[in-house]
Amino acid sequence: MADKLLISVSAIQVSAARWLGGRLGECTVFENSEAGLAAFKDHLAQGPNLPAHMIVDAVEEDYRFESLPHSFGSDRSEMIARKLKQHYRNTTYCSARIQGRDPGKRRDDRYLFCALTNPELITAWLQAVTERELPVAGIYLVPTVSAKLIENLKLKKTNLLVVSIHGAGLRLSFFREQQLRISRLARIDGSEGDSIKNYAEEISNTRLYLHALRVMTLDEHLSVLIVDRNDTLPGLEQAIARDNPNIECRRLGYREIIASLGVTAPVLDSSSDALYLHLLGLHPPENNLAPANVTLGYRQHQIRRGIYALAGVTAFATTTWCAINLYQLFDARADTESARRQTTELQAKYQDATHQFPAAPTTAENLRRAVEISQKIGATTRTPEIMMDLLSRALEHHPAIFLKTFGWKYDRTEFEAGREGIPSPSAAPSSAPPPNLPASGKRKESVRIEGEVRPFRGDFRDAIESINRFAEALSRQPNVAEVKVVKLPLNISPGLTLSGNTTDSREQAGKADFTLILVLKPIA
Amino acid sequence: MNTTELRALQAPLIMLMVVVGLGAGLVYQLDQTLTSTRLELAQQQNQMREARTRLQKSGDEKELIVRYLPNYQYLQSIGFVGDEQRLNWLEGLRLANQQTQLFGVQYQIGSQQAYPYAVELDPGQLTLHESVMKLNFQLLHEGDLMSFLTALGKQGAGFFAVNQCKIDRLNTGGSIRFQPNLRAECDVAWITVRPSSPGDKKS
Repeated sequence: MADKLLISVSAIQVSAARWLGGRLGECTVFENSEAGLAAFKDHLAQGPNLPAHMIVDAVEEDYRFESLPHSFGSDRSEMIARKLKQHYRNTTYCSARIQGRDPGKRRDDRYLFCALTNPELITAWLQAVTERELPVAGIYLVPTVSAKLIENLKLKKTNLLVVSIHGAGLRLSFFREQQLRISRLARIDGSEGDSIKNYAEEISNTRLYLHALRVMTLDEHLSVLIVDRNDTLPGLEQAIARDNPNIECRRLGYREIIASLGVTAPVLDSSSDALYLHLLGLHPPENNLAPANVTLGYRQHQIRRGIYALAGVTAFATTTWCAINLYQLFDARADTESARRQTTELQAKYQDATHQFPAAPTTAENLRRAVEISQKIGATTRTPEIMMDLLSRALEHHPAIFLKTFGWKYDRTEFEAGREGIPSPSAAPSSAPPPNLPASGKRKESVRIEGEVRPFRGDFRDAIESINRFAEALSRQPNVAEVKVVKLPLNISPGLTLSGNTTDSREQAGKADFTLILVLKPIA
Repeated sequence: MNTTELRALQAPLIMLMVVVGLGAGLVYQLDQTLTSTRLELAQQQNQMREARTRLQKSGDEKELIVRYLPNYQYLQSIGFVGDEQRLNWLEGLRLANQQTQLFGVQYQIGSQQAYPYAVELDPGQLTLHESVMKLNFQLLHEGDLMSFLTALGKQGAGFFAVNQCKIDRLNTGGSIRFQPNLRAECDVAWITVRPSSPGDKKS
């Protein structure tokens, strides 16, 4: 619980105490007069800057219990503001608090409206607080603070009347289902005559008053809690019970207050308002009468505190995160150093081991690879020998074929057919691979041979048949992938012009030239 | 919230900004440092694993050296491993020409280039190069070509691969005297291999 300044204002006196570290300090009491106000200002000037919470104990108060249509959000806010303005035109110190819903069909919301009808009572004291630039957190009526008393004592009574002696008189606060419904301050002078009897009569009258207000009926059971702060009302319980058989009384004496509420004896003795200031310090009620302009400073104070808290949380989170990271950083550095040391040791051991090795010009891996590469190159190199053997065997059976040029290559690409390309009827099927393989394909041997048919006496049909037979003989070899006749002695394509003569003379008949491309299957 | 109210919150807001700024800077800096340290750790652990594996395999390494060193030294002697030995190639050409009784060989050696089929050979840390030699010579008959290539291979001048050859028939006018009948042109690639950098030498 945050530290705060607690102030109780009544027509007779003003009590002020500081709530520090979750405990109420001793009260300083000031007379409600000019002198008291001056002393109060001095008191504030000497103290620290704490948010101020004020309670008011005055006769000039009003409580209204009212049911209103159920509503939400801005509708509810507007309706409540309208009602407050309607009920309390002459004061800005008023509030409304929802207290559940009606059990009827409409399920209306039930509100308790309360107000301080004489603002002048606190004006000067409030001004003293604001002049000191203390943020005003809230202004409450004393009965609203009493709800905390019932909660602390765990009194679950349906109808409970809390009676207590205050400087200004006898305070009677009625709670229905632990919720404040009405309160009044009766001016009874306890010093005159038989005060116990007067108090008992006032309580009996209050019961009738509640009946008249239709808050409760006379048949209903009523519990009365007598808060006897200074043990001055020992016979009041009996007096009430004698006059009202259906009233249950309980007196909360000095020792019981100290034991059950946690307030210390010196504090309780310091002021008649100490008990209520203690309850206010424990938990400020929700019925805050202070208008927004009064609590502006407190809101700013809260925002400042929130920002400081956020900064604190951020600093803490950052520090924690950094601490974890620093731990990981040192851990990683230690691991790195350890790995480095082990690496050095392993390398030293390896150096020792290498002294036993035969002297080598390079690493063992390079030795192995160099030898294996030489073996692979040896296994994959080719010469024209296979092609020459293959052609020789074919030429033995085709004496009319006369070779003029022999071109051989061993590459990923083979010889190109060019525009002269004419597929041989006896060559490999059309599903054969395209002549130009991609650069990443396997290397293969290919041959381009140019030759002519000899003797040639102008019989093109015979010459072409000889060439085709030769190509067919080549394509039948098992390691031949493809044979292409690139050029024939006579191009009989209908798209070209064709000319010549039909003489039998060899000199005039011309030549029967042809070109073949032969491709071997690639190495497996 | 108006200007007056904002002014009242000036100090805590400045403090918050300072805390957030300092915190963000600190977190970023530390994160960077931690990332680089972890990277360094990973690298160091890799080096350690490699060193351990190398030590564990030192026995195998010795066996490899014993097994492959003689062959490697032979490859060095014939010029396959190491720098090009062009003089050896020319000497090999001369001797092959003599042994096969050819009519002389014209040659032209191109500049050294990366071996185009190196990837197929999985060279590891070795690099392969080739220098293409264009040969131009005349033959009595087609059998001389293979005799010449075989003789060249036997000279121990290096490793070569025949890329392509072309044989053309010469016009001899029907004479059967001892004279060249064919002209051959061949592209021969002399292949060499060497470790990629001096750092690969055994330490």
